Amino acid sequence: MSNPDEQTEGANPTIRLIGLGETGVKLVEILAMIAPDGVVAHSLDTDSRSLSRCHQSQTFLLGQAIPCGLGTGGDSALARGAVESDSDELTEILRGTDLVFVVAGMGGGTGTGAAPFLANLAKQAGALVVGVAATPFDCEGIQRCNQATGGLRDLKQVADMVFHFPNQDVVLMEGADIALHQALEIANRHLCEAVLGVSRMLLEPGMLNVSFADLQASVQGRHSLGSVVHVEGSGEDRADDAVQKILLHPAARGGEALKYASSLLVNLSGGDVTMAEMDAVTAAISNHSPSAKLVVGVSGQGSGEALKLTVVIAHAGKLAGADQESAPPKPDPTGQTSDLGYSDPFTVPDTGSYLDLGKESDGKNRNGFTYTPPAPTADALTPECREDLIRVAAKEEPNRTKRRKIIQELLPLEIVSKGRFEKSEPTIHKGEDLDQPTYIRRGTVLN
Amino acid sequence: MSDSQIIVGLEIGTSKVCVAVGEVGENQVVNIIGLGQAKSRGVRKGEIIDVALAEEDVRNAIVEAEQVADVEIRSVFLGVTGSHIRGFNNTGVHPVVSADREITSADIQDVIKNAKAINLPTDHSVVHVIRQHFRVDGQDGVLNPEGMLGAKIEVDVHVVSGRYNRLQNPIRLVNGLHLEVDNISSSALASSLAILGMEQKELGTLVIDLGAGVTEYAVYSAGVIKHTGVLTVGGDHVSNDLAYGLKVPLARAEQIKIDHGSAVIDPEAQDRKVDLSDDSLIPGRQINLGHMQKIMSMRLQETLELIAKDIGRAGLIEYLRAGVILCGGGARIPHITRLARDVFKLPVAVGRASTVSGVKNALDEPEFATPVGLIKFGAFQAKSSPRRGGIGRVIRRQVAALFGR
Repeated sequence: MSNPDEQTEGANPTIRLIGLGETGVKLVEILAMIAPDGVVAHSLDTDSRSLSRCHQSQTFLLGQAIPCGLGTGGDSALARGAVESDSDELTEILRGTDLVFVVAGMGGGTGTGAAPFLANLAKQAGALVVGVAATPFDCEGIQRCNQATGGLRDLKQVADMVFHFPNQDVVLMEGADIALHQALEIANRHLCEAVLGVSRMLLEPGMLNVSFADLQASVQGRHSLGSVVHVEGSGEDRADDAVQKILLHPAARGGEALKYASSLLVNLSGGDVTMAEMDAVTAAISNHSPSAKLVVGVSGQGSGEALKLTVVIAHAGKLAGADQESAPPKPDPTGQTSDLGYSDPFTVPDTGSYLDLGKESDGKNRNGFTYTPPAPTADALTPECREDLIRVAAKEEPNRTKRRKIIQELLPLEIVSKGRFEKSEPTIHKGEDLDQPTYIRRGTVLN
Repeated sequence: MSDSQIIVGLEIGTSKVCVAVGEVGENQVVNIIGLGQAKSRGVRKGEIIDVALAEEDVRNAIVEAEQVADVEIRSVFLGVTGSHIRGFNNTGVHPVVSADREITSADIQDVIKNAKAINLPTDHSVVHVIRQHFRVDGQDGVLNPEGMLGAKIEVDVHVVSGRYNRLQNPIRLVNGLHLEVDNISSSALASSLAILGMEQKELGTLVIDLGAGVTEYAVYSAGVIKHTGVLTVGGDHVSNDLAYGLKVPLARAEQIKIDHGSAVIDPEAQDRKVDLSDDSLIPGRQINLGHMQKIMSMRLQETLELIAKDIGRAGLIEYLRAGVILCGGGARIPHITRLARDVFKLPVAVGRASTVSGVKNALDEPEFATPVGLIKFGAFQAKSSPRRGGIGRVIRRQVAALFGR
């Protein structure tokens, strides 16, 4: 699976997973074990120790030219320097790839600093770039969160689309009593699902195919935060079950993300998908998202009872930024637990896919699954909240043609010089450093 | 001749050190007789960062004021500010125990004492405790309950506190110049004293002092102070933003701000360019006025919005029937009143120190509100507790004589 020469031949698109930094490398290692054939995984880090633990992916130590073989210590500028010094080699790796997933944990050094640059390299190499980013828990400190926000913004400006999973969401879903390793596992699982869902959709042969071109058409040049929701429906009414789980999924933001989507790629897979099931799924989704462009695919390869449903939600920049700033309404956590109740550590299964992991342990919960989420309606948003969303959207992307011209990215937040206030006590108001120019914090571009 | 007639206000600001000398006449009429100022170099965000420089600047300002007013300055009322200053409201309760339930002055002293018993962190100390209103058995808005009948008497106070060590820094600096500090006052309170008349306090007014290092605000309603706040964002931040955004040196940004600044974006200036004909820069450098106004207006708007949010949270925005009054150097920014009007949705005016008489230019300039207010503060102090102030002063002078001179 990890030999790049083997899989250029087929008609399948070439997909590369690139993990950056410690979190990214960990995620890619997991993904490399369970990804479908035709996905090449690379681990890139400035820390040689983290790479020495990699067995499933091709490793590349960044920044050999400038000595930082033991990591960057949270210095994103150093990481950026490191990745820039290796840009020729990286371009070589990225050559001839159709789709690149840039997987990184934001908030540290390497992931935050190198991901935007790498995404840009991939973009120049002609690939469709999808960022996959995890942002830290709130309790990891304001500094780290700010750095993460900066990194995410930079990545978003370069990548066609970014799947973003805030680790803090796990706490919101599962409660603060969850053990840390479980919380991280759940966060990892959501990000893995996103990548796997898309890879499967593109690689599995289908009866109604969702092709690479479909994905390209719906995400290219959007520079927005999108999400991928991958769920499995089971039982007699597996289609309804799957739809309900979609709405409960944290990435769907209680159906809100669907409502603001500009296009949706829906892929069903499972044994003997009936017309009625297809109808039920598409009707429910288009009900929540009447204006989005809907592409439906069905692949029959998935065996067994379960109906696997993958939805790629692409925004036209509408929710971009808004879902970080306004706390989205969370669905009832009691309903969530059955959906996210996996607790098995990630192991390589002998048969079946990664997504079958924990299915048995989950089965009993699933039968008792009765929670019906309230249909998200326009009333769910208060007028102020909606105004906020619109205002944020207007600020975020005034118009796309203008956006596309801006190739020069903004420097990450940490590098913004505070000039006169460099050495004084910072003025922090609700986590915002007011010493930094307002127009930079608000992301206004002077042009 | 006693020097109690002369009251001096000293503000060690971020952009300038300002000294105002006032004469208090027979019936508490304050007359400004002299002003001294010096560019401040040792202060950032309202607090001293370089003692030696700040000391030199204060000395210069004092000397200038002494020459203008033709007096010898021995003691000053000092304005304090900084991010550590907090304002909050507290309530004191006291049961009336006398048999006839008549409230005596002793009861009033007690209830105020109770209100002053505040749980502050150990490194904080109280700057002001300002009486708001009394409540007698739940009857609200009593101004002076002495002689009334009641079982329970409550008093609301507004407390301003700050970190002890950081409050001491400017005091020590002034003492180092062989000057005494009569009292300290938060600059927000001083500015509002200078600007507001009785009627405005009664109707409800928000005073915003847009300084270079800090922006301070105070809300008056029903004749008493209801809320104070400090935001360590000021004109320096505007200059810094401009320096960063337009890529010019800070001093140059400051000059651009003064020459071409505007609080609102003028659609006609969007594409206009201004030449930077400075010899030290690359010849032919131009800056875009539109960008400049955008950077500036975003910063100012944000600052005002933060204040509006804070006042809104305190539930006071409805009480501001006399509107918003701006003072400090920031009040000179063109169109700042228009911006503030849009943010607060209230009438906005630039404040003048209307409650005192004297040197004309001291009263017309919004940036002198704090030192002038400090003189008023001093006049109030002298009036309300002449004896205590007198004794304290004597003692202080003796102590100073022992150690200082």
